[in-house]
Amino acid sequence: MLCKVDKVIQETPDIRTYRLKFREEGMMEKFTYLPGQFVEFSLLGSGECTFCIASSATRLGYFDCSIKKAGVVTADMHLSLEEGDEVGIRGPFGNWFPLEELKGKNLLFIGGGIGLAPLRSLIQYCIDNRNDYKDFTILYGARTSDGMCYKDEIREWQDNKSLKVVLTIDQPEETWTTNVGVVPKILEEVVMPVIENTKVITCGPPIMIKYTIQSLVKLGFADKDIITTLEMKMQCGLGKCGRCNIGSTYVCKDGPVFTNEQLKSLPDEF
Amino acid sequence: MNYTKQIQEIAAKLFAEGKIDVFVGYRMNGFDDNQVPVLITGPQEVSRLVFTDKSVFNLVNYLKTDHTRRKRVGLVVKGCDSRSLNLMLTESQVKRENLYVVGICCEGVVDDAGRKMQNCTECMVPDAVVSDELLGTPSNIGLQPYAVNPDIAVLAEKPLPERAAYFEEVFENCIRCNACRHSCPLCYCAKCCIDQETATLYNGANTTSGAFHALMTWSLHLAGRCVDCRNCEKACPSHLPLHLLHKQNESVIYENFQEHLAGVIPGDRGAFYKYSMQDPDDFIM
Amino acid sequence: MSVETFVTDKAGLHKFYEAVMASRETYAPVEKFGKFDFKRVTRLTECDPESPIATTQSIKPLFFPRSAKVMKYLATSAGTEVSEVDEDPLAVKRVILGAKHCDARSLQVLDKVYNWDYIDTDYQKRRENTVIISTRCDQAGTHCFCTSLDYDVENLDAMDVVIVNGADGKIYIKARTPKGENFLTELNTEYRILNIESQMSEEDKYGEMKKQYESFTGSFRLKMDYKEVNAKLSKIFDTPEFENVSGNCVSCNTCAFVCPTCHCFKISDEKVKDTGVRYKSYDSCNNGYFTLMAGGHNPRPVKYRRWRQRAMHKFVYYKERFGENLCVGCGKCTIACPVNISIFEVVNQVSSAAMQE
Repeated sequence: MLCKVDKVIQETPDIRTYRLKFREEGMMEKFTYLPGQFVEFSLLGSGECTFCIASSATRLGYFDCSIKKAGVVTADMHLSLEEGDEVGIRGPFGNWFPLEELKGKNLLFIGGGIGLAPLRSLIQYCIDNRNDYKDFTILYGARTSDGMCYKDEIREWQDNKSLKVVLTIDQPEETWTTNVGVVPKILEEVVMPVIENTKVITCGPPIMIKYTIQSLVKLGFADKDIITTLEMKMQCGLGKCGRCNIGSTYVCKDGPVFTNEQLKSLPDEF
Repeated sequence: MNYTKQIQEIAAKLFAEGKIDVFVGYRMNGFDDNQVPVLITGPQEVSRLVFTDKSVFNLVNYLKTDHTRRKRVGLVVKGCDSRSLNLMLTESQVKRENLYVVGICCEGVVDDAGRKMQNCTECMVPDAVVSDELLGTPSNIGLQPYAVNPDIAVLAEKPLPERAAYFEEVFENCIRCNACRHSCPLCYCAKCCIDQETATLYNGANTTSGAFHALMTWSLHLAGRCVDCRNCEKACPSHLPLHLLHKQNESVIYENFQEHLAGVIPGDRGAFYKYSMQDPDDFIM
Repeated sequence: MSVETFVTDKAGLHKFYEAVMASRETYAPVEKFGKFDFKRVTRLTECDPESPIATTQSIKPLFFPRSAKVMKYLATSAGTEVSEVDEDPLAVKRVILGAKHCDARSLQVLDKVYNWDYIDTDYQKRRENTVIISTRCDQAGTHCFCTSLDYDVENLDAMDVVIVNGADGKIYIKARTPKGENFLTELNTEYRILNIESQMSEEDKYGEMKKQYESFTGSFRLKMDYKEVNAKLSKIFDTPEFENVSGNCVSCNTCAFVCPTCHCFKISDEKVKDTGVRYKSYDSCNNGYFTLMAGGHNPRPVKYRRWRQRAMHKFVYYKERFGENLCVGCGKCTIACPVNISIFEVVNQVSSAAMQE
């Protein structure tokens, strides 16, 4: 399936969000996805990459992918993929956040860096179905204030009275007025979440996920209430190429969304 | 040629004196009379070590793995292996003080079928050129007149299309498993240029043209450095005549670069690493 | 299956081979540089369907090619065109001669992964269009352990036609599947005249084949109890023994490339100006970059972890997921390995050493 790049948003110096529309009419209606799923994004000539969809299907007509410059394909994208260009899309693949289970719960989103992208899809979905959920907290950390994605949207969230938004950066900066510190620390000291009837959804760099989960468990959250999405190198997205194997689990089919309970049953290799 | 007993004694002594963390040697493979490399980490395993004319593998290859990096290593080297070790030292890949080298005055090794390996029949440096301890009687054969490899000579006689067809067949049978590269002690790059994702110079796909790219680039990187240990050829699952690529380079370099042979003189750099006024320049207009 | 078994002699078998080659595109072991591999053949003199040496690679490349085109594209300023590749050259009606039992069996194992969830249609097409004719081995190789694994070597229905060199010196040809039966019926040529024992009862024929089978199974050097290995390995993910057994591995990809059941692949693009082709090629978990992500995180950065993945995938994970061992005991990896690491030894050594702790 070919997509046209409708809009490029430079989120941070090395993160760009691409807003995509299908070239063929009517394709968008057939492309149904749920928060947490991912697509294989191919820049012809450079190769294919796996990205999560960063927008919700409740926002019609387009979908977003946020891409950080890291490897070859992503570097080529930042270099040459502009508005009006065409890219190939396969998908959507993988499982999604357990939307039914989240209903009627307090939600706590914990994101770090580019890890906000998969959460954004769910956040948008939940905002659009606000009445289904109770308290709504977003904790978002980045290394620097420059490194925060979706700045405009975060401002919108902050203005939205029904959401609580907590931001933090790792190192102090002159113009920064709120929290400074790594995510697990802020989680324990500032957010102080309610444990009862709360589901936590987290995503970020592997090291952040690891320590965040530790402090969540320390705070008393049950393993089944901690939900995360995993990153593994993938190539096919179809459960064939064997790259994303963790034990007998294929991250591309059985994941990328896992609860901490499921993670514990996997070999420690991610 | 059988130095099993001596090598076991040396290894036991080194472990007892605490001079090494790992000893790289050979052991019987457990099902026929051929041998495989083994990494030994303590005196209790020393009795597994052997050394005969079946000790074919070039153990210098193991100096680039996780198991030996930043450790004190004892290892056994034959003449050709010691030349590659020399190059590893010159190219600053290993530290001499971390090594305890048991050199062998090699009488030639044999292949699975018991025939003497071709490179042994034309060997010019049978005695280890780097060693802390030398086993066997040095042959002191000195420098021999250089003989062009007979396979190269036969090929050179053939007309160009026939040669091209021959090599096409070679590349077609390559499965691009990279066993040659991984078995080569001098292919120590952390990431090979052929696998680079950032430079799309090379074809990542597993095709004949990809094999051509990979093997030719590889052989040119080893030009003037290959010591003819034939580890690559022994590793190749398709039994491709990889030595042809290297021996051709070797003979051209021997002819044009003041009879240069890789790794024979300690501290001597590869032919393409140094500049000399006598280097041929007739290819420059 | 109540299909009749043909009994013939050497000359009849050769007639049979020639008839096969005349009827369809045929692949058989061909010698190159002292090693055998499956290649396209047209005459019996070019190949050796009864090659005693195991081929370097199995018949896997004929179903899952070393490098297959996935798609082609043309990208210009006017827009992008993506096209399917031309007709799959391997999806024609064809026959494979001289496959070994382990080769044929490996396809049954691969069917499981290719047919769950998304179905690989190219693989399916090739599978449907291929008749596998297999000669039963007379003697086990040094590294063979197929009889130790969970399949019935004697009655294997993975091959369509089986040829047995009977204990009485006669040659028995029998169809094992409807596909093989149809093929033999279609192949109604002169070789049938050579059916030298039409009076022999099916029981007697079976008896002769059974005798051959027994002498074959008696020749195995390697034997193990795979159930025990499965059970032990699944409990010892963290054993340090993996570090010991992987010590002399050189981290090449040979074992995976020659393995009849390894199926991991990578996707790569080859681009010339505005046009390009996307390939799907073999890849191996022993390769250090296999799981390296663009961000620099690598879940399996060291050799023993990659070896553990390989052993566990073969004997634990695949078993859990698809109910089969991802190993058919062909020993190709051991033969091809530059340092002769044997998967048989590795799994046995690891599981027994870890149990002693």
